[in-house]
Amino acid sequence: MKIAMIGWEYPPFKAGGLATHCYGLTRSLADKNVKIDFYMPKTKKSAYNDKSNLKIIEVGETEIFPYDRPDSKEIGGNFYEAVYYYNSLVASKVEKNIKTKGKYNAVHCHDWLTMKAGITIKEKWGLPLVLTIHSTEYDRSGWLYPNQWFIDLEREGMEKADRIIAVSHFTKRVIVDKYRINPDKITVIHNAVYPIPEGHKQEIVLFLGRLTIQKGAEFFLKAAQKVKDFEPDTKFVVAGTGDMLPSLISQAIEMGISDRVIFTGRLTEDEVRHIYGISSVYVMPSVSEPFGITALEAISAGTPTIASKTAGFSEAFKNCLRVDFWDTDEMANKIISLLRYDPLHRTLVKEGKREVDLFTWDRVADKTIDVYNGVI
Amino acid sequence: MPSICLYFEVHQPLRLNRFSVFNIGNESPNPLYFDGKLNQQIFEKVAKKCYIPTNNLLLDLINRSDGKFRVSFSLTGTFIEYCEKFMPEIIDSFKALFKTGAVDMIEETYYHSLSSLYDEMDEFEEQVKLHRQMIKKLFNYKPKIFRNTEAIYDNRIAKKVADMGYKGIITEGTEKILHWRSPNFLYKPINCNLKILLRNYTLSDDVGFRFSARLWKDYPLTAEKYAYWMAKNEGDLINLFMDYETFGEHHWDATGIFDFLGNLPNEVFKHKHLDFVTVSEAVARYDPVGEVDVPWAISWADEDRDVSTWLGNDMQKACFNELKNLGKKLKEKDDRDMIDTWRRLQTSDHLYYVSTKGMEDGAVHAYFSPYDGPYDGFINYMNILQDLKQRLD
Repeated sequence: MKIAMIGWEYPPFKAGGLATHCYGLTRSLADKNVKIDFYMPKTKKSAYNDKSNLKIIEVGETEIFPYDRPDSKEIGGNFYEAVYYYNSLVASKVEKNIKTKGKYNAVHCHDWLTMKAGITIKEKWGLPLVLTIHSTEYDRSGWLYPNQWFIDLEREGMEKADRIIAVSHFTKRVIVDKYRINPDKITVIHNAVYPIPEGHKQEIVLFLGRLTIQKGAEFFLKAAQKVKDFEPDTKFVVAGTGDMLPSLISQAIEMGISDRVIFTGRLTEDEVRHIYGISSVYVMPSVSEPFGITALEAISAGTPTIASKTAGFSEAFKNCLRVDFWDTDEMANKIISLLRYDPLHRTLVKEGKREVDLFTWDRVADKTIDVYNGVI
Repeated sequence: MPSICLYFEVHQPLRLNRFSVFNIGNESPNPLYFDGKLNQQIFEKVAKKCYIPTNNLLLDLINRSDGKFRVSFSLTGTFIEYCEKFMPEIIDSFKALFKTGAVDMIEETYYHSLSSLYDEMDEFEEQVKLHRQMIKKLFNYKPKIFRNTEAIYDNRIAKKVADMGYKGIITEGTEKILHWRSPNFLYKPINCNLKILLRNYTLSDDVGFRFSARLWKDYPLTAEKYAYWMAKNEGDLINLFMDYETFGEHHWDATGIFDFLGNLPNEVFKHKHLDFVTVSEAVARYDPVGEVDVPWAISWADEDRDVSTWLGNDMQKACFNELKNLGKKLKEKDDRDMIDTWRRLQTSDHLYYVSTKGMEDGAVHAYFSPYDGPYDGFINYMNILQDLKQRLD
């Protein structure tokens, strides 16, 4: 089986779960003897690969793009243009490879960023199109003012795809309800994780993610303020960057918690692993979260997790704490309980690690192969 | 000729209010630990689906069989308090059942607690006495048979129960204690003089758990088939012990559970060698055929049939220890209201909700739990215990 997979990011370049997913999926597929040509934009550092079944094909001369929707009109304009340009480059590169090296069995795209190329290849070469939805415009906008341009593009891709993989039942429902797609062609495959080692635990409560409206960092700060007086030695770390960083810093100052909150900015891969390892509590207060691989990462590092009830992760994982993202009283109650009640913390670490072991890329690859077999 | 001994556990716990760490130590004189509204709702729902119709049906079956159909009940103190508060007519209907002479009452701890597992047995004894007073008041009767919370049993408990003057005790007929032997006989503890009634878990669970399971090979279960199975059993006694809520609540009316129960006596009477006995009659009629040695506590709960249902993980043990330690201080202080609250918090259900068991048992735990999982159950319960502790200091 030979698949043309069209991606957007791949380690070491990584802005979100898309890179993590493509990395885990392609490597496990390669181990299962699926040949993968993985197309992606050219980046400064070459993508890492040691699998013979996997070829990483970098296209164009483009620089790193924002993962999310850019706020400024000017960057936005350039960004859309760059996305279009990338998609047309990929389409012609795939075409060239088909002519010289033979056809693929299917083309597999991820999110709106790569949809155009997938559609073009499907229509020109009659290849089955598989589309994985990691997030929709509704998620990225936090369900406030979603942009019709993205929605239309996403709907076109979803309609033309032979098979859609959704990263959660939550996302499947969005695809059915908001995009009016036939539920029978949507398969849910939950994400997975490469475990991260546990470090020497400190009294740190961690938020890690893009600082955008979708991820709900402001609710994390509100909860931190409520915890502050009860747990005077606790530090709160906000790791990551994004368009909301300045306003979040102001918020922390206004709340009088700036001495307790550390904004790290963008972290390297090693720094991310370190901070997961030494934190005592991880909070994922996303407003809208199709899955949330970071929760699996934190749990694998022995860090009990409080996740938004609606996150795809929450539907798939038992040994975690769940809250409504807006209910910062309950979020604070759970943070304090985790810091205060050692048996709770211990049990969540133990049971969480046991459960997280089930979330392997090997399982994701098996299920993805089932999807391929259904369309080939 | 085997006698059929039907016994029902009738219990409702006092579910807790949401109590966050921010509520701990607040100055309100009467902390609201218990969720009155939810408890009333659930009680009234179960009463309509189960208690009222099943009591009516049993009374009818007893009358129609001239008292040959016989059953036994254990009513927890918390259940009776619900009846008194919301539906006193249910107590009247239990009284009417008892008056037929075909119904026996069983003793247990008033609060359906785990007090039998404390280091000292004094709290256990007090809670049994409270139950005894309640049964005396309601039925003017002194039970002869004891059934500990969820049939928790070990040698130590047996000894205590024998010392308190009971003639028999109920527990699970598990291979752990029986090995190759049949549960269809009475046994005695190695260390005291008491008759042990052992639940025939296969036949009990056929009704209690499997009755409405469509994938079960024997589905649908009819009274005729079930009576035939019992007729084939050897031994003195077939002990069918289950939750009373089996009828109409765990299995809804539409599953045919009431038809099953309604037809059961007549189907049983078709087999001349079968009859029904109450727990007291079983103990009076038969003699033990052997001894059982139970150094570690067993119960009828979960697949494990031990106390891991309530004390299986660190969170449960922490709550249990906190609860135990609170008791010592409370008794020194001798504040009746606080002791009363403390006892209500001892109902075993609070720890049951904190179980992290997976698979089959996990699903059953989740069915009964008012929480979004065991961790929320722990946080809520522990916060309340911390509040009680602060009030004490």
